Amino acid sequence: MSGLSQAFTPLFDKAALGAHRARAAAGLGRHDFLFREAADRLADRLLDCKRRFPLALDLSSRGGILAQVLDGRGGIELLVESDAAPPLATRPGGLRVIADDELLPFAPHSFDLALSVLGLHWVNDLPGTLLQMRRVLKPDGLLLVSLLGGETLTELRQVLLAAEAEIEGGASPRVSPFARLVDAAALLQRAGFALPVADTERIIVTYPDALALMRDLRGMGESNAQADRRKNFTRRATLLRAASLYQERFAEATGRIRATFEILTLTGWSPHESQPKPLKRGSAQVSLAAALTSAGGPGDAGGAGTP
Amino acid sequence: MSEPSSTLTVDPKLLEMLVCPLTKGPLVYDRARQELISEKARLAYPIRDGIPIMLVDEARALDDPPAEPAGSRA
Repeated sequence: MSGLSQAFTPLFDKAALGAHRARAAAGLGRHDFLFREAADRLADRLLDCKRRFPLALDLSSRGGILAQVLDGRGGIELLVESDAAPPLATRPGGLRVIADDELLPFAPHSFDLALSVLGLHWVNDLPGTLLQMRRVLKPDGLLLVSLLGGETLTELRQVLLAAEAEIEGGASPRVSPFARLVDAAALLQRAGFALPVADTERIIVTYPDALALMRDLRGMGESNAQADRRKNFTRRATLLRAASLYQERFAEATGRIRATFEILTLTGWSPHESQPKPLKRGSAQVSLAAALTSAGGPGDAGGAGTP
Repeated sequence: MSEPSSTLTVDPKLLEMLVCPLTKGPLVYDRARQELISEKARLAYPIRDGIPIMLVDEARALDDPPAEPAGSRA
């Protein structure tokens, strides 16, 4: 590492993450259903917005899935795609950059819209990344990102923990810690976004068994990249025990197992004068008492119910 | 318009908005060497196949001797 020295131990191993993504890139088309679904849902939110966003950024673009599903939504004319791993092949259209999500190489006020589909759960410093995203947005630009949230893979987390403790007599971090909804909303505010909104939705996916789920995660490039993960191979006995626990605890009537993916969606606007905001404290021209009496007394003030 | 595969260049619109990821300072485009140079960070970011690689780990320190061209593909 040149230049950057970090006083704290980062949560995620960026080299491992890059390696996982690069390894997954060739076969991603067989494992990208979750990314496609999330990209489609994110793009749909642009339809709720009357604005057009000519110049947009896609962070963690993973070979351009969002670009492929956008289909004119949001009035995007130019989409800059940024990912930490190089794309497999150059596609026509679009502009690509290789960059770390946590060290954005874009000038302030470059974009009308900053997007990211299921990528930011891998950043070590989410507040810092959101702050950088705000800075590259023009005033009144929109941040619209989805990331995996705290309930994601809760079943797998539980059975791996149990199996590892049972077979190997100890546990190691297997499934990433994910941001929770309450934290996400606070982070948006902290990063200086106006009108911040965070919401959550769950997607339940079924698989024939836990090993198929793990293969799929690997195919997505989403396998464990925590810095303090165990670096040696997981014992076969542990994996098989986890799979059988999974089957016991989380199988459906059909015998297929359930895996939860929680998708957090964060939206916020880069501040601009035209946006609604509360008045400054103490700036009122009329006293509260006067306001209450002129409204016809406390009984009528609310106006609830009486037509 | 077909694209010549070996002479991909960076889109000027993209060049306009790029800054050094470390210092957020300006970059100078070295067309001959296909590098983006950050004087402030003393780093040169490579451009491969028209794609700027804005990773500090991949950048060449300006004070080091330049690497032989086209030799460093992983």
